[in-house]
This record gives sequence, C-alpha cells and structure tokens, in this order.
Amino acid sequence: MNAHTDDVRLVGVRKRFGSVVAVDDVSLGIARGTIFSLLGPSGCGKTTTLRLIAGFEQPDAGDIFIRGVRVTPMPPYRRDFSMVFQSYALFPHLTVAENVAFGLRMRRVARGERARSVGEALALVKLEALADRHPRQLSGGQQQRVALARAIVVKPAVLLLDEPLGALDKQLREEMQVELRSLQQRLGITAVFVTHDQEEALTLSDCVAVMRNGVIEQIGAPRDIYDRPRNAFVASFLGASNFIDGIVVGRDAASIIVETPAARVRVPGDRSAGERVQIAVRPERLRMEGSDAQGLPARIRDIVYRGPVTHFHLDSAAGPLLSYRQNARASDFRIGDEVRCEWDSDSAVVLDGPGE
Amino acid sequence: MRSAWRWFLLAPPLALLLVFFVVPVVYLFWVSLHAGSTSELYGASLTLRNYTALVGDSFYLTIIGRTLAIAAVILGLCLVIGYPVAYFVAMLPPRRRMLATLVLLFPLMVSNVVRAYGWVALLERRGVVNTTLHDLGLLDAPLALLYTPSAVVVALMTILLPYMVISIANTLAGLDRRYLEAAQALGASPVRTFLHVTLPLSAPGIASGTLLVFLLTLSAYVTITLVGGPRSKLLVSMIYDSVTAFQWPRAAALAFVLLVLALAFTAGMLALLRPGRVQGSAR
Amino acid sequence: MPTAGSVLRAAATLVAFALIVVPILIVVLAAFSPSDYFQFPPPGLSMRWFIEFFRLDNMRSAFALSVELALASATIATILGTLAALYLARRGGMLANILQSLFVAPLVFPTIILGVALLLLYKTIGMPVFSGLLLAHCVVGMPYGFRTVLASAQGLDPSLEEAGQSLGAGPLRTLVLVTLPLIWPGVLSGWLFAFIVSFGELNTALFLTGPGVTTLPIEIFSYLQFQGSQLVIAAASSIQIALIVILVAVVERIVGIARITRAR
Repeated sequence: MNAHTDDVRLVGVRKRFGSVVAVDDVSLGIARGTIFSLLGPSGCGKTTTLRLIAGFEQPDAGDIFIRGVRVTPMPPYRRDFSMVFQSYALFPHLTVAENVAFGLRMRRVARGERARSVGEALALVKLEALADRHPRQLSGGQQQRVALARAIVVKPAVLLLDEPLGALDKQLREEMQVELRSLQQRLGITAVFVTHDQEEALTLSDCVAVMRNGVIEQIGAPRDIYDRPRNAFVASFLGASNFIDGIVVGRDAASIIVETPAARVRVPGDRSAGERVQIAVRPERLRMEGSDAQGLPARIRDIVYRGPVTHFHLDSAAGPLLSYRQNARASDFRIGDEVRCEWDSDSAVVLDGPGE
Repeated sequence: MRSAWRWFLLAPPLALLLVFFVVPVVYLFWVSLHAGSTSELYGASLTLRNYTALVGDSFYLTIIGRTLAIAAVILGLCLVIGYPVAYFVAMLPPRRRMLATLVLLFPLMVSNVVRAYGWVALLERRGVVNTTLHDLGLLDAPLALLYTPSAVVVALMTILLPYMVISIANTLAGLDRRYLEAAQALGASPVRTFLHVTLPLSAPGIASGTLLVFLLTLSAYVTITLVGGPRSKLLVSMIYDSVTAFQWPRAAALAFVLLVLALAFTAGMLALLRPGRVQGSAR
Repeated sequence: MPTAGSVLRAAATLVAFALIVVPILIVVLAAFSPSDYFQFPPPGLSMRWFIEFFRLDNMRSAFALSVELALASATIATILGTLAALYLARRGGMLANILQSLFVAPLVFPTIILGVALLLLYKTIGMPVFSGLLLAHCVVGMPYGFRTVLASAQGLDPSLEEAGQSLGAGPLRTLVLVTLPLIWPGVLSGWLFAFIVSFGELNTALFLTGPGVTTLPIEIFSYLQFQGSQLVIAAASSIQIALIVILVAVVERIVGIARITRAR
C-alpha cells in the first residue's frame, strides 16, 4: 500500500448491516493502472466493499480515498469513479449513444466533444453500428459492452465492476475477459472488480484480495496467492489442494521436517519443533512415481478422465490425495496401483492456523 | 444531506392527508362529544349523550339494524353470484379475461348516480320493466317495484358486484395450478378439490371483496335515496338529515357509529379469514 | 366437455353481466329518446335532450365545474401521490408500512364520513366552496396515483438509479432524467383514475357543493330527487359516460404505445 501512487485506498473500513458485520476492518491500497479483484464466496463482503468505494453504502468506521481525496463523506455523484453493474443498468428509455453520453452530459461536456468521445468509446468496444439502438434490442454481450463504454468514456479515476461477466455464457465470458484486460491496459484505467469465480480473478487481475466473512484473508498477485496460499480457505478457494497434516520434528535454515502419517517430508517454512502443521500441495504439482521411488506411499482409488488432464484420486496414510496428470501421452496407471507421491520442494506450503 | 431533500418528497402529500383527512375526522369525533346548539355549530359542554341517546333509542337501533340487515343480504348475494362469475372469468384465456375485466371495470367508472338512475328508469311505474310487461299483455296495472327494500338490494348489489368479482377473480387467477394438481394427485374429486383447496386459497380475494362491498354499502347514500325513496331511511340517510338540519353533534355521533361498524367489520374480517395465513407458494 | 358446474358458472356470468350493464344501457338509450318520456322500445332516435342539456345554464355550469374540478384535483392528487410513492419506493420498515397504509387509507375510508367531517371543518374555518371541494377530491384521488406510481417505481431495477449517480447525476437529476421517464405510464394511469373518480364522485360532493357551485353528478341527483325522471338527466349521464370512454381510450393508446417502446 503506497499512499502516493495508490488510486484507491481503504483504511480500517467497517460496515455492518443490523447484527451482521459485512466488512470488518478492511484496509487495502490499489495501485494506479492496475486491475484489482475482490474474490470470495457469497456473503464475504466483496460487493459491500465495492459499494463502499462507490459511495452507495456509508462505512460505520474508517476512511476511503480516491486519488488522495478523502471521499468518505461524499455521495456517489461527487466521487470520481464509474461503475459497470451486474445487471448492466442501461437506461431503457435512451439509445446506446445517449446511454454512453450520459456521464458526459452530467459533466457538462459540449455537444460536439461529447459526440466525438461517444464515438471513440463505442469504437473501442466495437459497437459503433448500434449507436441508435435501444438496450432491449441488444444481446447480453452487447449490453455489457455498452455498459463498459458508458463507464470508460468519462475517464474515471477508478472503474468499478460488479460481477460484470456473470450473466454471460462460458465462451463469451472468456472472450470478454481477454477484451476487458486489453482495454484496461490500453487506457491505463485503475479497475476494481468483484467476482466469485476464481479463474476469472486469476486471469484478469494484477492483484487479488481473497475475502471471507468481511475480512481479507490474503492479498497479492495471482501467482503468489495461488502458489503460496496462506491458509486452507485460500488454498481450497483458488483451485483444488491437497492437505496433509503432520508434526514438526526438525528444521534447518530454510525448511522444516514434518512427520506425517505416511512419510517424513521436507517443506520450506519456519516452525518450531513439536508444532502441529498443515501442508498444502497443488494436485498438478503432486507427481506419481513408481513404487520403487521415494516419497509418500499411496494407492490409486479412482481415475477420472477430464479431457486435457486426468484426475487421479489416491488413498494414503495421510488421507485422500489428488493428482492431476496432463494427457500428453497415454498413461499406464491403473486403479489399485501402488505409487509414491513426490513434489518439488518449493511446491509445498505450510499453512497458517490449525487444520480446517 | 440526502435525507433532507427526501423530506420534500414526503412533506406535501403527508401534509395534505394530515390536514384534510386526519384532522377533520378527529375534529368530527371531538364535536360528537359536545351537546347540540341552535346558534353555533355545536354547544359548549362535553357529553356522551349523543352516543347514549342512539344506543337507548329504539328508533335508531331499528335503523342500524335495518342497515346491517340490508348490508348482509347484499353481501350474501354478491358472494353467491360473484364467486361463480369470478371463477368463470379467472378460467378464461388471458385475452378474454382482460376483455371481461374491462367490461366489469367500466361500470365502476360511471358515477353511481347514473347507475341508480338506470334502475329508476327500469323499475318506476312507467319504467322499462312495467311497460314491457304491459305491452306483452302480462300486466294490467303497473307494479310498485321502486321504493322497496328489494329494489335497494338489487340496485346496490349490481352496482357493487364488480368489486367482488374482480377481487376474487384476481386471487383465483393468481392461484398456482400446482396446488390443484397436487390435490388431484392425492385423490381429491373436483368438488373436494374446490372445497378443500381452491376455496380456502381464495380467502384473501373473498375477504377484500367482502370488505369493499360492505363499506360501500354503508356509504351509498345516493343509491339508497334514489331507489329506496325518501321514506326508506338507513344509517347514512340519518347522517345526511342531521347535517341538513345543522345538528352537528348528532350527525358526528352517527357518523362515528358508522365508522365503528366499518372498523368492527374490517377487524372481524381480518381475524376470521386471516388472509396472511394463505400466503406462500407451491415449491 | 361442459360440466354442470361450468354451465352454471357461464349462466351466472351472463346474468351478472346483464344486470350490471343493462341499467347503464337503458340510460344511454333514454338519452336519445325523441319523446318527453322514455318509451321502451324507443320509437326513434333524437338529439333533443343533448341540445336541451347544453341549453340549460345550470347543467352547463355543473358540467364545466366537474371538468375543472376533475382536471385540477387529478393533477394535484397525482403529483402528490407520485412524490409519496417515490419516497416510499425503496423503503422498508415499520414506519414505511404505516405511511403506506395511511396513503392508501382514503380508498377504504367511508367517504361519506369524510364529506361530513370536511364540511364541519370548512364551516368552522370559513373555507370557500370550490377550494374545499378541490381539496376533498385531492384526498380522495391521491391513493390512485400513489398506488400506480409505487408499483412502477418498485418494478424498476434499483441499479438504474445507482447507475445515474455513478455517472454524476445528483438526486434531482436522477429523478428527472432516469426515474420519471421510466415511471410516467404509472403517473398517467394514476391521473386517469383520479380524474374518473373525481368526475363521478358523490359522497363528499354531496356535502361540499353549494348554491351555484355544484358538480354534474350532484346536479343529476338533485334533478332526480326533486323534478322526477326528466330525460335531460339521461343526456347528462350519457355525456358523463362518453367523456370517460374517450379519456380511457386516449390514455390506453398512449400508455399502450409506451409499453411497446419501453421493453417493460
């Protein structure tokens, strides 16, 4: 968090609805020109946080800054932002061009310049031909792009997006993800979006905040939080994970030695001897080797073909395990085979907190 | 700041209602507690005599009784005729149902005085019914159809029937067919499905229709006077007479008796049918 | 396969519709009667009673007053009802429910009592007749606009108003540029109901009209009470009916067309 270059800053923000604390002492900073996503299950507070930045909700405590300006007491129409809503919220009684021009009208931009900006924005989202249509004549994907054009044409300090791709089918969603990212990078707009889809968050963002019950569990670049989840919740929310319990029996400079029910393993980390720990390993990092290799002994219980990869469900003394194997070539594993599970030393992570 | 300007939304309509709805009614009650006066609107002393006089006087009690009796008959007729009609309308395909509803709504937009006049033209000595029967050779002397309690009942019943039908039809049309299908799947015949499922579920519509008809019957001065004649007095006629005779405290007390009857009926209806109980959906 | 039940229901419907509609048809028929009294079946059609209606000063002025009153009270009532509906549209809670019941109350409250109460109040404070009548009709008409606008406003996507705000429109501009263009069919139909109700209203006009200041329905009522069944009344009634039909048809066209252009 850097007060000087952050476009959006939340400091100790708290919001409660009745007896439910939706946002609990949240602080974060969003650097200029980046895409930041709030990720989490329903009810985790991500939408409330977005609405607090917008000003549609007022915090009970804490402050919100947009480009250094303390906007906490300001109503939404005075804050420098724009928003793409989940339902797009295109004004049904206005044409596409009038919708896009709305924000410029509010800012008293002259008619000629307005028309030019609207044209540019529509060209950016490739919808110039539909400028005189009404929203109900457009498909969902087209409506979404109009909503986007309307939000970016005003060149806001921050662009907020509330589950913008939720209503689109899978293929369209993936296309839009790519388009969104390229658009944002081209314009250099700071964007904050809310999603419950972890793949989307990982694809689109420069920085992700994983939330649960109003609290940010972990914040960081997609690769960092994926490879180094801090706790079991983050580990299992972002993709699948293997969890292995054990006790620390030794340590050295950079790693610890953990005694698990299945085998003794070495993991990077810093814990004291005798501590109970939980280790997480991603299934795609868990390799199955023949039974003469080193590593955790396990037996293949089930094999599920999944197109580009095959899922192997394993049983071991350390509990059930999951391994993904790319189907680059035919595999010769069978159900019932005894294997040894290995992983690169930096592929495993020690999680915070007791086992979940 | 936001809530301040919202006050501009609420203040004007609220002011109108408070000053020209709530205050006058409260004032009326206040006046009903005063003695009468020949020179002023009402006398100086506070008294309950206006109410006790009503309760003790058989003249007024008869009128109140007659009012309730006529209301009960009208209500009964509206229910008995109105429910089958509502059922029929509710079962119509959407286009025809809209048309039927339009035909029902239109008379409600015509002033009651016109509709009452229609009945006068039908039932008077030289009215349509009498002259038609005479021309068909079925009658020698005209029948005295107008100025009878039956005339009042028939006229009011037809004037108020659309309220009952629309109320019940709306509820029936909104019924989830799956309830009926579930009943039939459990072995209920059409009659029993109706009695045990449809009828109870249409209770909210019956309740609101009944309420509307009763309240409107109590207030229907013009129809009662035109069709019932100058000598058929119901509670509302007494109120009017007291006002024209400038007996304000008595008029006020009578008005409040009418209001109490209306409120008691409303409360009884809500308690009896408890429409809230049948909310919910087939899931 | 028509069952006994469905035949009975159809028959009941036929009888009911006849009973409801026939009296009105009789009145309209009587209005075109060429003779001095109503004959059934009528020997011919004539416009003489309509001409008579417009010849009579008291009839003409009662008609004019009714129209003025209905226009003014419907407009004021609808504006106020719209304001109240916009205030309550996104509000919940106990206070909001109480307020909502209050704004709908004139619909179920016996208007005859309101008429008496207002007359008493007006006599006490010395209110001029037309203003008093106007205010009474505003009270009676407000619930219609309130209900229709409330339904319209609650049917709106709440994000629309937030979208307006996110683009820089303050509360007033959001109201004018976003909300009103989308709820105006509700406003118009509320206005129509308020107009129709005021035009035919009896129970408060009964008490609140005075010499020289009387509405058409009350004028018709007085005629019927004191001068018997004169056919000019039938003409007056038919004119009232015709006005309503025209008004409903016009609004139906406008609102109907609006529905096509609005996707809602």
